[in-house]
Amino acid sequence: MAEFSWDIRSPLDRALVAGPYGARGDAGVALTEIRNFDLVQVMARRGKAAELAKAAKDRFSVAAPEMPKAVGTADATLIWSGPDQFFVLSKGGKHSIGALAPPFAGSASLSDQSHARVLISVSGAKARAMLAKLSSIDLHADAFAIGAAAATSMDHTSVTLWRGNDRDGLAVFNVLVFATFAESLWHTMLDSAAEYGVAINHSEELA
Amino acid sequence: MRITCPFCGERELGEFTYLGDAKPVRPAADAGEDVVYDYVYLRDNIAGVMSENWYHGGGCRAWLKVTRNTLTHEISAVEAAAGAGARQASK
Ligand SMILES: [Zn+2]
Repeated sequence: MAEFSWDIRSPLDRALVAGPYGARGDAGVALTEIRNFDLVQVMARRGKAAELAKAAKDRFSVAAPEMPKAVGTADATLIWSGPDQFFVLSKGGKHSIGALAPPFAGSASLSDQSHARVLISVSGAKARAMLAKLSSIDLHADAFAIGAAAATSMDHTSVTLWRGNDRDGLAVFNVLVFATFAESLWHTMLDSAAEYGVAINHSEELA
Repeated sequence: MRITCPFCGERELGEFTYLGDAKPVRPAADAGEDVVYDYVYLRDNIAGVMSENWYHGGGCRAWLKVTRNTLTHEISAVEAAAGAGARQASK
Protein backbone atom coordinates (compact mmCIF):
# COMPACT_ATOMS: atom_id res chain seq x y z
CA MET A 1 0.00 0.00 0.00
CA ALA A 2 1.31 3.38 -0.93
CA GLU A 3 2.30 5.59 1.95
CA PHE A 4 0.19 8.67 2.34
CA SER A 5 0.91 11.59 4.56
CA TRP A 6 -1.64 14.26 5.28
CA ASP A 7 -0.04 17.49 4.30
CA ILE A 8 -1.76 20.76 5.21
CA ARG A 9 -1.88 22.83 2.05
CA SER A 10 -3.56 26.02 1.02
CA PRO A 11 -6.58 25.62 -1.29
CA LEU A 12 -4.71 28.09 -3.54
CA ASP A 13 -1.58 25.95 -3.55
CA ARG A 14 -1.95 25.07 -7.25
CA ALA A 15 -3.42 28.35 -8.48
CA LEU A 16 -1.09 30.77 -6.75
CA VAL A 17 2.17 31.37 -8.60
CA ALA A 18 4.22 33.99 -6.78
CA GLY A 19 5.71 36.71 -8.95
CA PRO A 20 4.56 39.28 -11.49
CA TYR A 21 1.46 38.79 -13.63
CA GLY A 22 -0.35 40.78 -16.30
CA ALA A 23 0.79 44.17 -17.54
CA ARG A 24 4.50 44.85 -17.18
CA GLY A 25 5.97 47.67 -15.14
CA ASP A 26 5.04 48.72 -11.63
CA ALA A 27 2.28 46.45 -10.35
CA GLY A 28 -0.95 48.35 -9.70
CA VAL A 29 -2.39 45.54 -7.59
CA ALA A 30 -0.80 43.28 -4.99
CA LEU A 31 -2.67 40.02 -4.33
CA THR A 32 -1.41 38.24 -1.21
CA GLU A 33 -2.83 35.07 0.24
CA ILE A 34 -2.49 35.07 4.04
CA ARG A 35 -1.84 31.55 5.33
CA ASN A 36 -1.91 29.81 8.71
CA PHE A 37 -4.46 31.80 10.68
CA ASP A 38 -7.00 30.91 13.34
CA LEU A 39 -10.56 31.83 12.35
CA VAL A 40 -13.52 31.18 14.62
CA GLN A 41 -17.10 32.16 13.88
CA VAL A 42 -18.98 33.26 17.00
CA MET A 43 -22.78 33.27 16.78
CA ALA A 44 -25.09 34.32 19.61
CA ARG A 45 -27.44 31.65 20.87
CA ARG A 46 -31.11 32.49 20.74
CA GLY A 47 -31.82 35.46 22.99
CA LYS A 48 -28.21 35.63 24.21
CA ALA A 49 -26.93 38.59 22.15
CA ALA A 50 -26.43 40.80 25.20
CA GLU A 51 -24.59 38.03 27.08
CA LEU A 52 -22.38 37.45 24.05
CA ALA A 53 -21.56 41.16 23.87
CA LYS A 54 -20.46 41.09 27.51
CA ALA A 55 -18.42 37.91 27.11
CA ALA A 56 -16.67 39.39 24.05
CA LYS A 57 -15.87 42.60 25.92
CA ASP A 58 -14.42 40.60 28.80
CA ARG A 59 -12.33 38.47 26.47
CA PHE A 60 -11.02 41.08 24.04
CA SER A 61 -11.26 44.34 26.06
CA VAL A 62 -13.11 45.94 23.14
CA ALA A 63 -16.73 45.75 22.09
CA ALA A 64 -17.38 43.19 19.35
CA PRO A 65 -18.86 44.75 16.18
CA GLU A 66 -22.66 44.93 16.15
CA MET A 67 -22.80 46.41 12.65
CA PRO A 68 -20.67 45.81 9.54
CA LYS A 69 -17.26 46.75 10.99
CA ALA A 70 -13.91 45.15 11.71
CA VAL A 71 -12.43 45.91 15.13
CA GLY A 72 -8.74 45.40 15.85
CA THR A 73 -7.48 44.29 19.26
CA ALA A 74 -3.90 43.74 20.42
CA ASP A 75 -3.76 40.23 18.95
CA ALA A 76 -6.97 39.62 16.99
CA THR A 77 -9.40 41.18 14.56
CA LEU A 78 -13.15 40.90 15.20
CA ILE A 79 -15.09 41.05 11.94
CA TRP A 80 -18.88 41.37 11.73
CA SER A 81 -20.32 38.50 9.67
CA GLY A 82 -24.07 38.98 10.15
CA PRO A 83 -26.61 39.87 12.83
CA ASP A 84 -25.40 38.75 16.27
CA GLN A 85 -22.31 37.02 14.88
CA PHE A 86 -18.68 37.80 14.13
CA PHE A 87 -15.37 36.21 13.18
CA VAL A 88 -12.30 36.14 15.40
CA LEU A 89 -9.20 36.24 13.19
CA SER A 90 -5.86 35.64 14.91
CA LYS A 91 -2.62 33.69 14.83
CA GLY A 92 -0.68 31.35 17.08
CA GLY A 93 -3.52 29.56 18.85
CA LYS A 94 -4.25 32.17 21.53
CA HIS A 95 -7.80 32.63 20.18
CA SER A 96 -8.30 29.18 18.67
CA ILE A 97 -11.69 27.51 19.08
CA GLY A 98 -10.37 25.60 22.08
CA ALA A 99 -9.27 28.81 23.76
CA LEU A 100 -12.55 30.59 23.02
CA ALA A 101 -14.88 27.78 24.10
CA PRO A 102 -14.80 28.51 27.87
CA PRO A 103 -15.41 32.29 27.72
CA PHE A 104 -18.30 31.90 25.25
CA ALA A 105 -19.87 28.80 26.78
CA GLY A 106 -23.55 29.55 27.27
CA SER A 107 -23.73 32.72 25.18
CA ALA A 108 -22.55 31.66 21.72
CA SER A 109 -22.01 28.76 19.36
CA LEU A 110 -18.51 28.57 17.90
CA SER A 111 -17.42 27.15 14.58
CA ASP A 112 -13.78 26.67 13.57
CA GLN A 113 -13.34 28.14 10.07
CA SER A 114 -9.50 28.17 10.09
CA HIS A 115 -9.20 25.77 7.15
CA ALA A 116 -12.61 26.52 5.65
CA ARG A 117 -11.79 30.00 4.35
CA VAL A 118 -9.06 31.57 2.31
CA LEU A 119 -7.88 35.05 3.21
CA ILE A 120 -6.78 37.27 0.35
CA SER A 121 -5.30 40.72 0.89
CA VAL A 122 -5.77 43.16 -1.99
CA SER A 123 -3.65 46.29 -2.01
CA GLY A 124 -1.84 48.66 -4.35
CA ALA A 125 -2.73 51.85 -6.20
CA LYS A 126 -5.31 50.06 -8.40
CA ALA A 127 -6.82 47.78 -5.73
CA ARG A 128 -10.03 49.78 -5.54
CA ALA A 129 -10.38 49.96 -9.32
CA MET A 130 -9.93 46.19 -9.60
CA LEU A 131 -12.41 45.41 -6.83
CA ALA A 132 -14.97 47.77 -8.36
CA LYS A 133 -15.27 45.27 -11.22
CA LEU A 134 -16.24 42.50 -8.80
CA SER A 135 -18.12 44.21 -5.99
CA SER A 136 -21.36 46.17 -5.79
CA ILE A 137 -20.14 47.83 -2.56
CA ASP A 138 -19.09 51.48 -2.81
CA LEU A 139 -15.40 51.25 -1.88
CA HIS A 140 -14.67 54.98 -2.09
CA ALA A 141 -12.77 56.11 1.01
CA ASP A 142 -15.71 58.30 2.07
CA ALA A 143 -18.13 55.36 1.94
CA PHE A 144 -15.84 52.50 3.02
CA ALA A 145 -13.42 53.83 5.62
CA ILE A 146 -10.74 51.88 7.49
CA GLY A 147 -12.54 49.28 9.59
CA ALA A 148 -15.61 49.11 7.34
CA ALA A 149 -16.79 45.56 6.63
CA ALA A 150 -19.44 43.87 4.50
CA ALA A 151 -20.96 40.44 4.10
CA THR A 152 -21.47 40.49 0.34
CA SER A 153 -20.89 38.64 -2.92
CA MET A 154 -18.17 38.85 -5.53
CA ASP A 155 -18.70 37.07 -8.82
CA HIS A 156 -21.72 35.28 -7.25
CA THR A 157 -19.50 34.01 -4.43
CA SER A 158 -20.20 34.92 -0.80
CA VAL A 159 -17.32 36.79 0.80
CA THR A 160 -16.56 38.72 3.94
CA LEU A 161 -14.85 41.96 2.95
CA TRP A 162 -13.22 44.52 5.20
CA ARG A 163 -10.77 47.39 4.94
CA GLY A 164 -7.63 47.07 7.05
CA ASN A 165 -5.14 49.73 7.97
CA ASP A 166 -3.52 51.59 5.09
CA ARG A 167 -0.12 50.45 3.89
CA ASP A 168 2.24 52.98 2.29
CA GLY A 169 -0.65 55.43 2.25
CA LEU A 170 -2.83 53.07 0.21
CA ALA A 171 -5.99 51.18 1.15
CA VAL A 172 -5.78 47.47 1.98
CA PHE A 173 -8.85 45.29 1.43
CA ASN A 174 -9.21 41.83 2.95
CA VAL A 175 -11.41 39.14 1.46
CA LEU A 176 -12.43 35.93 3.24
CA VAL A 177 -13.87 33.37 0.83
CA PHE A 178 -15.00 29.76 1.26
CA ALA A 179 -12.05 27.45 0.54
CA THR A 180 -13.84 25.57 -2.23
CA PHE A 181 -14.62 28.82 -4.09
CA ALA A 182 -11.20 30.39 -3.50
CA GLU A 183 -9.53 29.19 -6.70
CA SER A 184 -12.40 30.45 -8.84
CA LEU A 185 -12.42 33.88 -7.18
CA TRP A 186 -8.62 34.03 -7.34
CA HIS A 187 -8.66 33.56 -11.13
CA THR A 188 -11.40 36.17 -11.46
CA MET A 189 -9.30 38.60 -9.42
CA LEU A 190 -6.26 37.91 -11.61
CA ASP A 191 -8.33 38.55 -14.75
CA SER A 192 -9.68 41.79 -13.30
CA ALA A 193 -6.25 42.98 -12.16
CA ALA A 194 -4.19 41.91 -15.18
CA GLU A 195 -4.47 45.26 -16.98
CA TYR A 196 -2.90 47.02 -13.97
CA GLY A 197 -0.09 44.53 -13.45
CA VAL A 198 -0.17 42.22 -10.42
CA ALA A 199 2.34 41.30 -7.74
CA ILE A 200 1.37 37.82 -6.50
CA ASN A 201 2.55 36.51 -3.17
CA HIS A 202 1.64 34.57 -0.08
CA SER A 203 2.43 35.48 3.48
CA GLU A 204 2.23 34.13 7.00
CA GLU A 205 1.64 37.59 8.44
CA LEU A 206 -1.79 39.03 9.20
CA ALA A 207 -2.05 42.56 7.82
CA MET B 1 -34.06 46.80 -7.96
CA ARG B 2 -32.24 47.34 -4.68
CA ILE B 3 -33.19 46.24 -1.19
CA THR B 4 -32.00 48.02 1.93
CA CYS B 5 -31.15 45.19 4.31
CA PRO B 6 -31.64 46.31 7.91
CA PHE B 7 -28.32 44.68 8.78
CA CYS B 8 -26.13 45.37 5.72
CA GLY B 9 -27.55 48.48 4.07
CA GLU B 10 -28.54 48.93 0.43
CA ARG B 11 -27.66 45.99 -1.83
CA GLU B 12 -28.37 44.86 -5.38
CA LEU B 13 -31.09 42.34 -6.15
CA GLY B 14 -28.59 39.60 -7.03
CA GLU B 15 -27.67 39.13 -3.37
CA PHE B 16 -31.27 38.22 -2.46
CA THR B 17 -33.59 35.28 -3.03
CA TYR B 18 -37.37 35.67 -3.21
CA LEU B 19 -39.41 33.25 -1.15
CA GLY B 20 -42.95 34.55 -1.57
CA ASP B 21 -45.97 35.81 0.32
CA ALA B 22 -45.17 36.59 3.95
CA LYS B 23 -48.82 36.58 4.98
CA PRO B 24 -49.65 32.88 5.42
CA VAL B 25 -49.51 31.82 9.07
CA ARG B 26 -49.05 28.19 10.02
CA PRO B 27 -52.38 26.83 11.30
CA ALA B 28 -52.78 25.18 14.70
CA ALA B 29 -52.11 21.42 14.85
CA ASP B 30 -55.84 20.70 15.16
CA ALA B 31 -56.93 23.00 12.31
CA GLY B 32 -59.21 21.47 9.72
CA GLU B 33 -58.11 20.09 6.36
CA ASP B 34 -59.47 23.10 4.44
CA VAL B 35 -57.40 25.53 6.53
CA VAL B 36 -54.21 23.48 6.04
CA TYR B 37 -54.90 23.16 2.29
CA ASP B 38 -55.29 26.92 2.06
CA TYR B 39 -52.05 27.49 4.01
CA VAL B 40 -50.01 25.07 1.91
CA TYR B 41 -51.37 25.66 -1.60
CA LEU B 42 -53.40 28.85 -2.01
CA ARG B 43 -51.75 32.20 -2.61
CA ASP B 44 -53.21 35.61 -3.46
CA ASN B 45 -51.93 37.01 -6.75
CA ILE B 46 -51.65 40.64 -5.72
CA ALA B 47 -51.28 43.47 -8.22
CA GLY B 48 -50.15 46.12 -5.77
CA VAL B 49 -48.60 46.30 -2.31
CA MET B 50 -47.55 42.93 -0.96
CA SER B 51 -45.67 41.65 2.09
CA GLU B 52 -42.95 39.22 0.98
CA ASN B 53 -40.18 37.09 2.43
CA TRP B 54 -36.69 37.62 1.01
CA TYR B 55 -33.41 35.93 1.97
CA HIS B 56 -30.14 37.88 1.97
CA GLY B 57 -28.10 34.80 1.03
CA GLY B 58 -25.37 36.75 -0.76
CA GLY B 59 -24.89 38.93 2.30
CA CYS B 60 -25.67 38.48 5.98
CA ARG B 61 -27.87 35.37 5.49
CA ALA B 62 -30.80 36.93 7.34
CA TRP B 63 -34.46 36.54 6.44
CA LEU B 64 -36.26 39.80 5.68
CA LYS B 65 -39.87 40.90 5.37
CA VAL B 66 -40.18 43.29 2.43
CA THR B 67 -43.23 45.40 1.57
CA ARG B 68 -43.18 45.77 -2.23
CA ASN B 69 -45.56 47.05 -4.88
CA THR B 70 -45.66 44.27 -7.48
CA LEU B 71 -46.70 46.76 -10.19
CA THR B 72 -43.94 49.34 -9.67
CA HIS B 73 -41.32 47.38 -7.65
CA GLU B 74 -41.41 50.26 -5.19
CA ILE B 75 -40.28 49.03 -1.77
CA SER B 76 -41.92 50.84 1.13
CA ALA B 77 -40.55 48.87 4.08
CA VAL B 78 -37.92 46.26 4.94
CA GLU B 79 -37.71 44.65 8.33
CA ALA B 80 -35.92 41.68 9.81
CA ALA B 81 -38.04 38.53 9.91
CA ALA B 82 -38.84 37.18 13.35
CA GLY B 83 -35.73 35.79 15.05
CA ALA B 84 -33.32 37.26 12.47
CA GLY B 85 -31.08 39.04 14.95
CA ALA B 86 -31.27 41.48 17.82
CA ARG B 87 -29.36 44.48 16.50
CA GLN B 88 -30.02 46.23 13.22
CA ALA B 89 -27.26 48.23 11.58
CA SER B 90 -29.27 50.91 9.82
CA LYS B 91 -31.31 51.93 12.88
ZN1 LIG C 1 -28.09 41.63 4.99
